[in-house]
Amino acid sequence: MSETETNNSKIWDVITIGSGPAALSAAIYTTREDLSTLLLDKGPVGGLAAVTDWVDNYPGFPDGIAGLELADKLQKQAERFGAIFEFGEVKQIVDEGKFKVLKTDVGDFKAKSVLIATGSDYKKVGVPGEAEYYARGVHYCATCDGAFYRDKKLVVVGGGNSAVQESLFLTRYASHIDLLVRSKISCSDVLQKELAKNAKITVHLGVKTDEIVGDKPMGEGGKVIKVIGTDVDGKKIEFPTDGVFVFVGLSPNTTFLKGIVDLDEIGFIKTNVHLETNIAGVFAAGDVRSGATMQIASASGEGATAALMIRQYLEGHAMDHEPLMATVTN
Amino acid sequence: MTKKITIFTTNTCAYCGMVKKFLDAKGHVYEVVNLDENPERQAEALEVSGALTVPVTVVTKQDDSQEVIVGFNLARLAPALA
Repeated sequence: MSETETNNSKIWDVITIGSGPAALSAAIYTTREDLSTLLLDKGPVGGLAAVTDWVDNYPGFPDGIAGLELADKLQKQAERFGAIFEFGEVKQIVDEGKFKVLKTDVGDFKAKSVLIATGSDYKKVGVPGEAEYYARGVHYCATCDGAFYRDKKLVVVGGGNSAVQESLFLTRYASHIDLLVRSKISCSDVLQKELAKNAKITVHLGVKTDEIVGDKPMGEGGKVIKVIGTDVDGKKIEFPTDGVFVFVGLSPNTTFLKGIVDLDEIGFIKTNVHLETNIAGVFAAGDVRSGATMQIASASGEGATAALMIRQYLEGHAMDHEPLMATVTN
Repeated sequence: MTKKITIFTTNTCAYCGMVKKFLDAKGHVYEVVNLDENPERQAEALEVSGALTVPVTVVTKQDDSQEVIVGFNLARLAPALA
């Protein structure tokens, strides 16, 4: 980069929107191919993987690895080959043909190709009290907020890998956890075995979460005191608690893409077999892609594949920096 | 101009790392209060932020007024440091 060139003025070969495992893996590949690569993200490098307590199924780590540490290693590997990271929230993608302009809260960025790897975020359970007591008893990040529940009682809502993994993490702090599972446990066998061994967690199958209740309204300093649920027989059950952690699935981070990139009925990005979206030169990989398996290892694989497809795309296009703009003549 | 910056963190909080990286990149000096190591200061974090979460960044200005930013919120953090 020349002395006067900035991340905003430079025309990048590749910009990734997001910096989770898919984007980081792609960046390792593209930078090794000498393609200038910028990773733009409004959240933590590593995405949801970075806020996951422990990752046991990522190849190459026989004893498992903390999500934060894995994210840090992936970032260092990408930086070793020249990847640049920038904080910023992408608001819009403007397709100018050969170039794509990303409009963000920290200015515009221009690239010849774009990889959307914005991942997904935890869904809300959608019950009364959930929004009201957010961050005052209702949480979505165990590694961030678990420490506030030392020797307290907790409820965790959900029955998948995240719910069980994060419940196990929360037992570091909590005295007891009621795990409310709407139907049945759907996590891996390994986690199920760990769950069965953990005396601090009581699993309640077939319990639908109906309401999160506080002792008084939030504005009056209220705090969560119980969760009300319904069992399979329609009977109401109350679970006294000091806090609630919700892990009931994932929803894609694609709100800013509506009307720009083709999405499926749930909101995940549609791609072809080359991981390319309906816009030429705009690719998608990882949890945000329709059909993704929501695994860190598969996101990394998709990132690598996308990088190779991007290289192929760039090779098929002129590498000069003349934008495809209409020529105005007098 | 800021007089003092304090961040309430925990050992496992990824968003705390992002706040620290941002402050480092901008050359700010800050105090870290790790709530895993200092659980007795949790009440302080709750009192200043009104939230049971980290990171909580407290920016004290030259006139001793304070701005409290909950989470990794660049839209609020960057202007608070200006």
